[in-house]
Amino acid sequence: LSLRNDATFNTLALELFALQFKYNSAYRIICEAQRRTPEIVEHWTRIPAVPTAAFKELELTCLAPSERTAVFHSSGTTKQKQSRHYHSAESLKIYEAALWPWFEQNIFVNSEFRIQNSELLILTPPPAQAPHSSLVHMFETVRQKLNGAESVFVGKLTADDTWTLDFEAALVALNDNSKLKTQNPKLLLGTAFSFVHLLDFLAENNLRFRLPPGSRVMETGGYKKHSRTMPKDELHALITERLGIPQSYIVCEYGMSELSSQAYDLGALASHRRVSLLCSEQDAGGTPAFPGYVTRHFLFPPWSRVQIISPETNREVADGESGLIRVFDLANVFSVMAIQTEDLGVRHDDGFELLGRAQLAELRGCSLMTNSAIRNPQSAIA
Amino acid sequence: MNLPNYFLADLPPEAMLSPALITEACQTLKRNRERYLASRSTNSLAKVLSEVAKGWLQADNPFRKLALEVGPAKTGFSRETLSKGLDNFFRQLTPDNFQMLLIQEFGDAVSVTGDGCHVTREAVSSCHLPLVTRHFWRGPELLIHITAGNIPNPTLISIVFGLLARSAQFVKCASGASFLPRLFAHSIYDADSKLGACLEIAEWRGGNADLENVLFEEADCGTATGNDETLEAIRSRLPVKTRFLGYGHRVSFGFVTREVLSSFEARQIAARSAEDVVAWNQLGCLSPHVIYVQTGGEVSPEKFAELLADELEQREQTEPRGELPAEHAATIASRRSIYEIRAAHSPDATRHWCSKDSTAWTVIFEADARFQMSCLNRFVYVKGVKDLNEMLQNTEVVRGHVSTVGIAAPEDKTKELAMQLARWGATRVCQLGRMQNPPLTWRHDGRPALGDLVTWTDLET
Repeated sequence: LSLRNDATFNTLALELFALQFKYNSAYRIICEAQRRTPEIVEHWTRIPAVPTAAFKELELTCLAPSERTAVFHSSGTTKQKQSRHYHSAESLKIYEAALWPWFEQNIFVNSEFRIQNSELLILTPPPAQAPHSSLVHMFETVRQKLNGAESVFVGKLTADDTWTLDFEAALVALNDNSKLKTQNPKLLLGTAFSFVHLLDFLAENNLRFRLPPGSRVMETGGYKKHSRTMPKDELHALITERLGIPQSYIVCEYGMSELSSQAYDLGALASHRRVSLLCSEQDAGGTPAFPGYVTRHFLFPPWSRVQIISPETNREVADGESGLIRVFDLANVFSVMAIQTEDLGVRHDDGFELLGRAQLAELRGCSLMTNSAIRNPQSAIA
Repeated sequence: MNLPNYFLADLPPEAMLSPALITEACQTLKRNRERYLASRSTNSLAKVLSEVAKGWLQADNPFRKLALEVGPAKTGFSRETLSKGLDNFFRQLTPDNFQMLLIQEFGDAVSVTGDGCHVTREAVSSCHLPLVTRHFWRGPELLIHITAGNIPNPTLISIVFGLLARSAQFVKCASGASFLPRLFAHSIYDADSKLGACLEIAEWRGGNADLENVLFEEADCGTATGNDETLEAIRSRLPVKTRFLGYGHRVSFGFVTREVLSSFEARQIAARSAEDVVAWNQLGCLSPHVIYVQTGGEVSPEKFAELLADELEQREQTEPRGELPAEHAATIASRRSIYEIRAAHSPDATRHWCSKDSTAWTVIFEADARFQMSCLNRFVYVKGVKDLNEMLQNTEVVRGHVSTVGIAAPEDKTKELAMQLARWGATRVCQLGRMQNPPLTWRHDGRPALGDLVTWTDLET
């Protein structure tokens, strides 16, 4: 049974669709309005996709209120309506079972270093401080899977509940090779903006690290309102410059609270592998300007499918064209498998390239005459 | 048609602008103004501008042809949208309208005839002799405009007013937005090269301090369009001596009263609303985000939304919106999908009408009357309210940021409605269908159109 096989995937997807249609009443209403019900839909591509924004307005779940033991919210300020992806013990198990093998395969690709020896430096707050973050839950799962590894969460919450870094703790963790007197590689996990925070801090204090060989970075997500934005290539060049981690060991993740699987830019790693042979890892730390930044293509695990959908026609675009990213994730068992994101991507035969987010603000609930709404009506939604 | 290199914006993209180049351009402009413009009569300037405008309205005018041929690729507007928008603009520039503008702004026809002065005689009660006052006005020596990119009209009208004020002008366009201002400047140059020599058009991405600091240093008056931060950033960098006229972003909406909602009239009003949505693809501050429709008429707000959708579909056939960059189309698609979900879940509270296989137009009906910012590009809301008061309560969030309210009401009610809207803070009330087409005498943000530019000298004898 190979999930890469479309017929197999199709069978499972249609089965799951029928279950979700039956048990997820909010979803059923949407499907009925679109006249695409399990009796009618014959191929997974026709399964109605739910926009991520709908998770803010509806309880899109198959779980009865009594079964819901956890809820993941989308990031964003607390003033905005948050999306709600409900989980039970069982659905969390699936979530964890889905995230680990693909994480392991992508993060430790091409690694001669043993996973269990990695030391984890996680740039988010710990789970107790961020119980509704799917990302933190994912990192915690990784931490538990790397059982026994040195690990530390160096993020914390500010007074207004936004994430920031405990720089002192981060410095200690970056410096700390003393405990085991070994040169274990470090694995840094965080959001793009947390890396920006860290790099800004290192630059202000004129600090540079050369983390042990095999150390790597996984960064994810946009910037939202958290920090200044920085193009990916610049961010990655700074990571190389300040932390001594070569480009080939920087992996981008694409995920969201509404999904249970994640995409990684494995294709980029494959391309970078060739480059890193040319400019060997040893001098990568000293040469921040990375020659010929390679466009990174993201790939979801075999139990998922991605379509890039033309916003004009609502149909899949051709290779090389851009559109909205739609994900069919079989691991989203207890919510909705088919998710329509607000993110723009380019379709490629080996994955998709992430372009950014459609400028979609909150519908309702926020103070809509915030400056940004007046400033840029095209981006402002209320 | 190839345009000669008269303006900085004519230079090939690889040509680098430098502070020295900007300074030199400003000084040349000032010299040219002294030689060619400072002593021109207002009437002669209005005449040249009227002639230029008349030219733009001719089908075989080379500038018009170029605008319509190359414009769609340069601006994103379809040929038809451009053609209509430009026609509406240039139709306003007639000798009569200039005369009206000058009377409105300077109060006395004398000022129109020549030297920019006029005379009033006032009987002063405390003494028996009549006091004769002569008033002279003069415009800035160098007027600079920092323009936003959305639609060309505000930039074009700024150039017109600057010329009437006999100012040399440097127009700094937002990146990618210099095409139509450039063509307009060329058409002025073509009609009167001396006037053209008092104009400079350049384009760069805003915030380039090296270039802007020297420009700001040279100017004695500057106008700017943009968001509050942009305006504040410009204001704070202008020397104190420099007069600053900032125009922040504004929103507009429509209001249809129940008396005019007979099934016959409603269709016409829907057509007029469509006109306002289609004009410049709704991208101007004067374009409606929401059409408020009073309940209790023969045609319900929901039905009106449907009529508006019909009209937008028809307009798409004759004045297509044109292609959008993927991110804007994605914004529309994402927003539509949310309303689709809402419509499925509460069909009484939300309905949506969308162009088929495209994002060309969208009408959303919502029972919720709260003002809603549109994502524009022909995406409009229709909301029902029981009266004007309910509308004003629901637009409270944008109060102080509203430019135009387009209304459809019986004639005898129009004045009262306009008074109430004026008290509330709207700076322009017009008929639906004319929102994006203000007269030459329109006072931008309620400020004097031309009067804000000039400085008076009163001479009492």
